[in-house]
Amino acid sequence: MKNPPFNYHRPATVAEALDLLAKHGDDAKVLAGGQSLLPVMALRLGQPEHLIDISAIDELKAISVNDGVTIGAMVRHAEAEKSAEVKQHAPLVAAALPHVGHRAIRNRGTVVGSIAHADAAAEMPAVCLATEATMTIASTDGARTVAAADFFEGFFSTALAPHELLSHVHFPAANATTGTAVVEVSRRHGDYAMCGLACSIDAGGGTISSAALAFFGVAGTAVRVADAEASLIGKPPTADAFAAAADIVKATLDPSDDIHATAAYRKHIAATLTRRGLAEATSTIGVPA
Amino acid sequence: MTDTKDTQTSGLGFMGQRVQRVEDDRLLVGKGEFVADVLPEGVLHAAFLRSPFPHATINSINVTAAARLPGVHKVFTGAELNAITNPFLPMFMADGVYTPLYKCMSDEKVRHVGDLVALVVAESRYVAEDALELIEIDYTELTPVGTIDQALEPNREQLWEKADGNVLGNLSDSFGPVDQVFSRADHVITRTFECPRQTNQPMETRGTVVKVDKATGHLEIHNTSQAPHALKWALAAMLTDEGGIKNFGKFVRNADRRQAFTAAAKDFLSKNKESLKAQDNAGQVSQLKKDKSLLKHQGKMAMGLLASTDYPTVKAGDIGGAFGSKGPITREDVAVAAAAKKLGKSVQWIEDRVENLMDGGQAREEQFTISMAVDSDGTLRGMKVDFVLDQGAYPGFPISSLIIPLLWKLYMPGPYNIEAFELNGQIVATNKGRVVPYRGPWANETWLRERMLDVVARELNITPADLRAKNVMREGSMPDAFITGPTIDETMSVAKTFDRALEMIDFDQLEEDKAAAEAKGHRLGLGIASYHEAAPGPPNFFSSAQPGSDMLLSEDGRAEIQADGRIVMYTSQSPHGQSHETTYKQVAADEFGVPLEDVEIVWGDTDRTQFSFLGTGGSRGGPLGAGVMRMTARELRRQVTDVAADMLEAASSDIEIIDGNIHVAGVPAKGITYADVAAKVATDKRTTSGPVFTEQMQYDGVGNGGWSVATHVAWVDIDLETGLVEIPRYLVVEDCGPIINPGVVDGQIRGGVAQGVGAVFYERHHYDEQANLLSTTYMDYLVPTAMEIPHIDIEHMETLTDGENDARGTGEGGMIGAPAALTNAVSDALGVEVYEQYLPPYRILELAGVIDR
Amino acid sequence: MSLPSVNAPIGQTLPISVTINETAHSLDIEPRRSLADVIREDVGLTGTHLGCEHGVCGACTILVDGEPSRACLMLGVHADGAEITTIEGLAEPDGTKHPIQEAMKQAMSFQCAFCSPGFLMSTVALLRDNPNPTEAEIREELSGNLCRCTGYTSIVEGVETAVTLLGSSALGSTGDQATGGVA
Repeated sequence: MKNPPFNYHRPATVAEALDLLAKHGDDAKVLAGGQSLLPVMALRLGQPEHLIDISAIDELKAISVNDGVTIGAMVRHAEAEKSAEVKQHAPLVAAALPHVGHRAIRNRGTVVGSIAHADAAAEMPAVCLATEATMTIASTDGARTVAAADFFEGFFSTALAPHELLSHVHFPAANATTGTAVVEVSRRHGDYAMCGLACSIDAGGGTISSAALAFFGVAGTAVRVADAEASLIGKPPTADAFAAAADIVKATLDPSDDIHATAAYRKHIAATLTRRGLAEATSTIGVPA
Repeated sequence: MTDTKDTQTSGLGFMGQRVQRVEDDRLLVGKGEFVADVLPEGVLHAAFLRSPFPHATINSINVTAAARLPGVHKVFTGAELNAITNPFLPMFMADGVYTPLYKCMSDEKVRHVGDLVALVVAESRYVAEDALELIEIDYTELTPVGTIDQALEPNREQLWEKADGNVLGNLSDSFGPVDQVFSRADHVITRTFECPRQTNQPMETRGTVVKVDKATGHLEIHNTSQAPHALKWALAAMLTDEGGIKNFGKFVRNADRRQAFTAAAKDFLSKNKESLKAQDNAGQVSQLKKDKSLLKHQGKMAMGLLASTDYPTVKAGDIGGAFGSKGPITREDVAVAAAAKKLGKSVQWIEDRVENLMDGGQAREEQFTISMAVDSDGTLRGMKVDFVLDQGAYPGFPISSLIIPLLWKLYMPGPYNIEAFELNGQIVATNKGRVVPYRGPWANETWLRERMLDVVARELNITPADLRAKNVMREGSMPDAFITGPTIDETMSVAKTFDRALEMIDFDQLEEDKAAAEAKGHRLGLGIASYHEAAPGPPNFFSSAQPGSDMLLSEDGRAEIQADGRIVMYTSQSPHGQSHETTYKQVAADEFGVPLEDVEIVWGDTDRTQFSFLGTGGSRGGPLGAGVMRMTARELRRQVTDVAADMLEAASSDIEIIDGNIHVAGVPAKGITYADVAAKVATDKRTTSGPVFTEQMQYDGVGNGGWSVATHVAWVDIDLETGLVEIPRYLVVEDCGPIINPGVVDGQIRGGVAQGVGAVFYERHHYDEQANLLSTTYMDYLVPTAMEIPHIDIEHMETLTDGENDARGTGEGGMIGAPAALTNAVSDALGVEVYEQYLPPYRILELAGVIDR
Repeated sequence: MSLPSVNAPIGQTLPISVTINETAHSLDIEPRRSLADVIREDVGLTGTHLGCEHGVCGACTILVDGEPSRACLMLGVHADGAEITTIEGLAEPDGTKHPIQEAMKQAMSFQCAFCSPGFLMSTVALLRDNPNPTEAEIREELSGNLCRCTGYTSIVEGVETAVTLLGSSALGSTGDQATGGVA
C-alpha cells in the first residue's frame, strides 16, 4: 500500500499554485493536510499525475476575524480548535472540530481541505451549510465566491473546477442569542458518523426566530431540512417543538443502507439527534464561549 | 478449599509474582526486531497481484510491460512459481472429509478476492506496486459462492472440481442414548443461530524475509510464524524439486545418512507407539477416494526431504500479535521463498493491511441448529447440534478448519451433566478468504450453548442462573470423564467459578439499576456464561478428537549451562505477545535459585531450538512450554548440585541455592556459584567453551488435569434512542491454576474479552452475496478503541492439584466467554431472544422493536 | 519557517533537511515516499511501526514539531525543516527509559507491543498538554491508537502510572521530561 508516482509541486505562493493548477488542473490534485487524499492514493484509488502541495503557502495559514471568521486553506483542524477567534465568532465550527477524527488527524488535516474533499459523512460540509458559509475560490481567472448551498454538488463533488483552488472559507458571525451544537452517532469514537447534525438555533426572547439543521452521513452531500427548520420558527424552544421537527426530519430524509447502518436506523437516529442537538444548542445560548 | 499459592515456588520465588516484562526493555524503546525491520543489504521487495474477482478462470496473463518497468527484477506468473513448488497437502484428515490440494499460486482459476495471481520482485515496494498495475490479465468470471446457503445449493458452480458440490466434509458423531433421551425428555427446544465472519487482525500483518546465502544457496527465513519449525519443514518439502529426487540415490548410497535416518525414525516410532497404533486410516481413505494424487505428492516430497542436505533456517523474532492467524503456513510464505531461491537474492514481503483483510486469516462464519432435551424441572438431558462451517476457499495448512468441528465434538455439551449428545454437520467452501484458528477457534460452541441455555431457561420460566446451577458439574459428583471422552479431575472447576460469580453479582442492585435505566429510555441487562477449555487438556484430549493424535500434546525442552556458567534455556514456543521470555525466566530462575537475569531464554530460531509441530498455540505456553522448562531446569540443577556437593564436600541433599549462591545449608558465606561449578566441569572435561551441562526432555503435562475454566458476567446498558451499548461492568471469574505472573494472565484475559466485545458490537468481516469483500480497510472493519472496551474485573481462583506443574493456559478464554455473556446480557436487557452474534446499533434497535428491519 | 517552492517530476528526488531525535539529517527522497518509510528505511529508525498505512491504527504516530502525527499520512518531503521525535528519541542517551516508557513497563501495559510506539508518542503529547488527565480523557486521547492485545486497561494504567512518575520527576532534576522532553 504505497503511493503511486506523481509529479510533485510545492508552490510557495498562491499565485504559483494557481499557475500550476491552470497548467495541470485536469490531471492535478491539491494536497493540503493530506489526511483524506493520502490514504486514497496509498490505496491507489486515486492517482493524480500532479500533486500540488500547498502546505508551504504562508498566506493560506491565517484565521482572520471579519464579521465572522475566515479560515485559510492551510489552517489545520488543531489550529482552528485552539483558536479563541473561532470559538467566539464561529461557535458551530468550534463545536464540530472535536468530532473530526482523532487528535493526530486534526494535527495535520485542514478545515478547508475537509470542505473541498466534500465527504458527505464529514462534519465540516454540514457546518458550512448550517452557517451559510461563503467559499472563496481562486484561479488564474481571478477569485469568485460561492455560497455553501451551491458548493456541494454530490458525493465527493463540488463546484470547484479542476483549475481552481478553494483558498478560504468565511463563516458568518453568530449573534448572541444563537446556540449551536454538533451531535453525531458513529460506530466507534472518532469514526465518520452514521448520522450527524450540525445545528443552530436563535431563540432570543424565548421564541425561535431562526434555526438551521444540517445533517451529514445521510445523503450524497450534507443536507439541510428546510421544513423542519421552518416548523420551529415562532415556537418556544421546547421539547415538544423539537420533537415535531424531529418527526419532519424523519419523514424527509432518504438515507441509504451500508454495512454500518440501515436507512431505517439512520432516519431514527436523525430524529434522535434533532431532539438532542436542538436541546443542546438551546442550552448554549448566552453561554460565553 | 485446597487453594494455596505457596507450594510451587523455590529459590527466590518469582512464581506468582507480578514480574515486569523483560521484553519491554527492547520493545518500549523501539529496539524490537519485527519482520519488517529485517532489511538485509540489497534486499528486494515483493508484492502480489491479487484477484479482483471472487471466482473466475484466468485465460491469459501478460507481464511484459511490468517486467520492463525500471527497478523490477522479476515478475513471476503463478504458473512459473507453481512449476518450482509442491502443493499444500492435507496433513490432518478425517472420515467423510475431502481437503483440496492447492499450490502456492493460482494459475488457472481464482477462488476469492485477493487470490494470488502473480508476484513482482522489485527494488522497492513502491516500484513493485507500480508493476502490478502493468500486468494484464484476462479473466472469465464464474458464478461466485458468497454464502453458506449458496454453498449448499446442489448445482452451484464448484470451487473444487473433485468435491461433491461445495460441501467438502460431512461429520457426524454421537454419545449416549440420543434417541431415547430425546423421546423421553419433557421438552425438546430447538433454535437456529448464526455467527458472521470475523478476522483476527493482529496489529502487525504477516511477513517473510528470505535471505539467500550467495555461496551455499541456504535460505534463512525471517517470518512472523507462530510455528517456525512447521514452516521450516513445510518449506523444505514444498521447495523440493526434481533435483531432490535425483539426489535420493545419493541418500540411499550414503550409509551414515541412511543410518541416522533409521535411528531417528525408530526413535519417533518408539516414542509414539501407542498413538500411532490408535490411528485409523479412515481420513486418508476419504481423501484418496476423491484425489489419488495425494500419494504421488507425498512420495515425491518425502524423497525430496530425505535427499536434501540443506533445510531452510526459520527465525521468528518479535511478532506483533497473531491470535492464531500466524500459525498456518501460507501460500505467500512458499511463493516468496521460491522466488528468492530462484533469483538467488534476498526478498522481503510485508503484507499490507488490505491484503491482511483479504486473506490474512478469517474465522467463525458458522450456522447452527441446536436442540436441547430438558425436563420441566430444568434437568438438562441431551443436546443435538447441526452445523455448517464456511471454510472459505483454500483449506488452512497444516491444520484445516476440520479441527474446529472435531473440537466442538468434545466441548459442545460444556461443563454440564448431560446424558446424550449428537453433532452433525458440513464444512463448505465459499469464495472467501481462508479460515484460520482465531483465539479459541471452537469458541462458538460456548456461545451457542450458553445462549441456548438462556433460551431454555426462559421457556421453562426459571432464571438462567438457576438453570446453570442445577446442571453444572460439581466437585463430589463429578464424573471421571466428559460424555464426549476427555477425562476430568478437579481442575475442571467451572462450578467454583460459577458460584463465586453469583456471589459477586448484587441481584437487588441489578433490579434497581434496570429500573433507573428504563427511566431514562435505556435498557440494562445481565448475561452469564461458563465454559471449560483444554489448556492443554488431559492425555486423551487430542485422541478423543481424532484417534492417534495425542502425540500433539507433548512438548520438548532443552537446557544447558555453558562453561562460563551461563544458563541457557531453549523453547520451541514462538512468542508473539504472551511474555514467554519473562514467565519462562521466572520458572527457570526459581528452579535454579538464581536472579532472572542469569537465565537466557532462546526461542524462534530453528537452528537453535528443538522441534515442535505446533509452536505457540492452543494455550500450551504456560502448561507445556513452562512445564518442560521447569522439568529440564530441575534436572540440570540436580546435576549441578551433585558436582557442587563434591566441591563443597557435602551431601547433595544438604545443598541450597539462593540468589545464585550454591552452598551447604546454613553456611551461605562459603558458597560457590554456577560459574564455579561450570568451570570445574569444564576443567575436568578439558574444555573452555560450549555447554558443560545439558538436558533434553519431553513433557506431556500433568495427567487428567489441564482444564482452564471461567464464568463471565456482562452488564450492558442500551440506549434505545441510538442503539449504542455501554458495558458498565464486566466480570471474569477464572481458574487457570497457579498463576505464573498475574500481570500477564490479566492481560491475556482482558485482551480476549476485548476481542469478544469487538465480535459482538463492532467487528464483522463483510462479504456481499456475490463474495465481494466490503470491509477492505480499517474504516470498515472496526477494531475497538479504548473508548469502546470497558474496564474488566477479574477474580482469580487458583485450584491446585497434586501435579508438579499445574499452570494452565489462559490465552484463549476471554474470547470464548465474552460473546456468550454479552449476547445473553443484550437478550436480558431487551427481553427478546438473540440468535446472532453480531449486534451493531441498527440491529439492537431492530431487536428492540424500535425500528423496522 | 517558510519553504521555497519546488517541483520534482516523477522519479526525481528532492533534498530535505530534517531533525530527528535531535540529530540533523540531510536526505534525498522521492516525494511519493511516506514519512514513515523515510524514517524506517532511509534513517534506519525502525521503531516507528506501520500497522495499516491508511491512518487508522496509529502505530506510526510520531511527533512532528511536538505534535502527534501519523507518519503514514505524511510525505517524507513534508518533514522538510521539521523537528521530529520518534520512539527512539524518548530514552536518555545512556539508555535510561523516559518516565512514560518506565511507567508502561511498570504497568505491564503492552503484550506484543507492536502498537506501543504510537501509544507512547501520543501519551507524550497528552501528558505535556494535560499533566493530570482523567481516565475518560486518557481513553479519548488514546482512541486514535489501536491495540489488539490488551483491551486497553493496562495502557490506561500505564498513563496513570506515568502521571505519577512525571509528577515526581518534575520535582527533581529531570524537569525537562515532565513536558515530554520534546519541543
